[in-house]
Amino acid sequence: MAQEDLIAAFTRQAGVMGAQILPVEGRRELGKALAEALKPCGRRAALFASPLVRETNLEEALTAAGFTVEKDGPDFAREADVGIVEFDYGIAETGTLAMDATALKARLAAMLPLTCVALLRTKRIRANLTEVIEAYLERGSWPGYFTLVTGPSRTADIERSLTIGVHGPERLLIVLVGDEGGDDRGR
Amino acid sequence: MAAKEFRERLHKALNNASLRGALERFADSYIISREEVYRGKDFAALREKIAAIKGDAAGRYEELAAQFTRAVEARGGKVFRAHDAAAAREYIYQVAKEHGVTDVVKSKSFASEEIHLNEYLQERGITPHETDLAEWILQLMPGERPSHMVMPAIHLPKEEVARVFSRYLGEPVEPDIKNMVRIARRELRKKFLTAGMGISGANIAVAETGTIVICTNEGNARLATTVPPVHVAIVGYEKLVPKLKDIVPILEALPRSGTAQPITSYVTMITGPVPARKGDGEGIKELHVVLLDNGRTRMAADPVFKEALQCIRCASCTNVCPVFQLVSGQVYGYIYSGGIGSILTAFFNSLEDAADPQSLCIGCRRCAEVCPAKINIPDLVLKLRERVVEKQGLSRAYRIALHGVVAKPRLMHTMLRAASRLQGPVTHGRPFIRHLPLYFSSFTEGRSLPAIARVPLRDRVKNLEGALRKSRLRAAFYSGCVIDFVYPEIGEAVYKVLGREGVEVTFPQGQACCGAPAIYAGDRETAVSLAKLNIAALEEAKADVIVTACPTCAVALKKNFIELLAGDPAWEGRAKDLAARVKDFTQLVHELKKSEGSAPEGKGRDRGIVKVTYHDSCHFKRHLGLDRAAREVLTSQPGIELVEMRESDRCCGFGGSYSVKYPEISRPILERKLKNIMASGAEIVATDCPGCILQLRGGLDQTGSDIQVKHTAEILANKD
Ligand code: SF4
Ligand code: SF4
Repeated sequence: MAQEDLIAAFTRQAGVMGAQILPVEGRRELGKALAEALKPCGRRAALFASPLVRETNLEEALTAAGFTVEKDGPDFAREADVGIVEFDYGIAETGTLAMDATALKARLAAMLPLTCVALLRTKRIRANLTEVIEAYLERGSWPGYFTLVTGPSRTADIERSLTIGVHGPERLLIVLVGDEGGDDRGR
Repeated sequence: MAAKEFRERLHKALNNASLRGALERFADSYIISREEVYRGKDFAALREKIAAIKGDAAGRYEELAAQFTRAVEARGGKVFRAHDAAAAREYIYQVAKEHGVTDVVKSKSFASEEIHLNEYLQERGITPHETDLAEWILQLMPGERPSHMVMPAIHLPKEEVARVFSRYLGEPVEPDIKNMVRIARRELRKKFLTAGMGISGANIAVAETGTIVICTNEGNARLATTVPPVHVAIVGYEKLVPKLKDIVPILEALPRSGTAQPITSYVTMITGPVPARKGDGEGIKELHVVLLDNGRTRMAADPVFKEALQCIRCASCTNVCPVFQLVSGQVYGYIYSGGIGSILTAFFNSLEDAADPQSLCIGCRRCAEVCPAKINIPDLVLKLRERVVEKQGLSRAYRIALHGVVAKPRLMHTMLRAASRLQGPVTHGRPFIRHLPLYFSSFTEGRSLPAIARVPLRDRVKNLEGALRKSRLRAAFYSGCVIDFVYPEIGEAVYKVLGREGVEVTFPQGQACCGAPAIYAGDRETAVSLAKLNIAALEEAKADVIVTACPTCAVALKKNFIELLAGDPAWEGRAKDLAARVKDFTQLVHELKKSEGSAPEGKGRDRGIVKVTYHDSCHFKRHLGLDRAAREVLTSQPGIELVEMRESDRCCGFGGSYSVKYPEISRPILERKLKNIMASGAEIVATDCPGCILQLRGGLDQTGSDIQVKHTAEILANKD
């Protein structure tokens, strides 16, 4: 499948699974677009530093837009409204995000706040789980903590009524960052 | 467990309207959503893959466990091999004690419930907090049991949950689901942030990498394995698979079959210890994996039951089980419910503990159709029943009926003839016959019972067996007890239809009961002796085909005889020869008509069109696979309009002696069937099983309906 088709399939499926999608054409637009989208979610953002975050000066952009950006500390992400993390891959078939989440802060930022922002380079969308597993295996050692995320946290335990956001995020915003220049091999 | 306690639980569940309503509503929508979520997937291929992966793994747990252990240890984790529940509990307790843990957060784990970990820790001053919402609610309700493997609290109405929360918080809580979920999030978040240890189960464990895979929707497993500084994973041996790539088909099937989702919100894969918060800084988490045996390796060494270790715990077998829908998981009594649950209980607990739960299976085979691990659950339940009987013996009544009468055809036939003379005019409380002939009793509630025929088929055949001018085929008719003694007219119809098709039919007088009642009661001895009797009698007929018009008999002749006589050099080959010649009546007609290439005849049109609906008998559809053939035969018959009923392949609740043992389960299953029949607008219900006919006629009679129930043979015979 051509990359455009994979992106379209991923977008569709992630939407079905309850995620919101924010397409951003190039890395330069990321900061502004994200700050705008996050306005209704609260001002405290826990940010996990990743290559994309650094390349796009995301921290500065958010601070400039009035956000308090948290990057460290023993209580990291516990009180934050938003957690921002870059994911490694997207899976078109199920609208799933994949990440090597061995770094503690990557996990905490993605789990604890009510809103999770998942940054994903469109070039990193693959057709299915098998392809993603192969990609990690090729890197050599398998990640210590590997995570697949599809949509927000959900439960149907009371009267089978679907309710969003029980232990994990209530809102999953996937920012699809276009491939205008830059490295696509990532971490 | 005491049988009395079991009965009490059964009646409590059957009388619980909200439980039944919730399970039924769920089951109805589940069937549709499951189909949707599998659309475009090759389910048959997927289950082959899973069965192959898990079946292979079950053959080499020792090797995989060793490889898994090496991989985890290479990363710095610890693996403890627990032979039984006690060893597992004690190890986990010691880990907690070593770290001075007072509070533990747990993500849902069957294995931890299996070893009764919560009570053990609690008694030693450590408080376990369940964090899966349903499990937490149940934990706050002492004495309450999970009612479903995947949705343990599906039976609780929101008002009940609100009462539980109110009590917990000491303040009134409104029965608003969204708000209650928020409360759970708030309360459990505190536990996650302060607990000294997290305990999880695992859905899959990969030997190659030492990875444990956990699926959740709520995200509690991620928190429980991330926030506290110590993580203990309890993993049954049956979760082991060799390679990382093996997880793909399992992850494809588990959520699709379980809750009809393409994937769970979170899939977490943990390989060795990872960074964690320790004190004020970051350190490395402590990881302990408890590999739990507790009967699993014994099961893997058992050539019959090894197959059950392929189970991925998706619970789709219970979702489609007509019995489970009525009684729920609360009745099965142990951690694992449904047909598969009774099998697991036999190994993880004891054979005695499985005796009552296994008896709940009516054998409809619905579960086997949907199981993504391709486990033949109903056959395993029967094997289990055999072992229970071997160990505990048959009940007195059964022993007398089976050994004393059914196993002695001459005596049985004499008694049946006597009964037919004694039953007198049609009265209430008339004697009746079942698949287990000779249960003279009065379980007639909700279903009238037929009288025994005055002249059995075996005495009528003299008048039916005229030489044919030109015969295409020589057939021996194996009637089975119900057609012989209750519905000889079905037998007559078979003769008529086959005669018309140019088949010469004989009735071997030496034939006896097929042994199904003995097989379903777990009485192997009687079944074996009947198999031999029948083989000898049917061989004598020297026929090209053996025709039956009862699917239960067909399964006995085609499949059970071979199994019963396997390894017996004098009989094995004969059983196989016989099996190869057995054909169901409708199947034979279908084939004959096809080979003729005969177009539907125009005759009979003037009689008008009759609306016929078709009831799929469980054995006929799921064992013999003849559901399409029956419909083709019927629709090729002029004057018939086939109207499909809802849930045509749902069990009618007969199950032979099952309806005597569990009339309180059989009856509501029948009621649902009758509703669907009546809603179809048909004048006639056609089916291919005399047992179903008995059940359906009885039920319709009680409701005063004038819908007729007919064997396909009777419908075909009726044309001029
Ligand atoms: S065979 Fe039928 S009754 Fe028995 S466990 Fe399976 S679905 Fe339930
Ligand atoms: S027996 Fe099959 S259907 Fe039932 S839980 Fe196991 S895998 Fe699922």
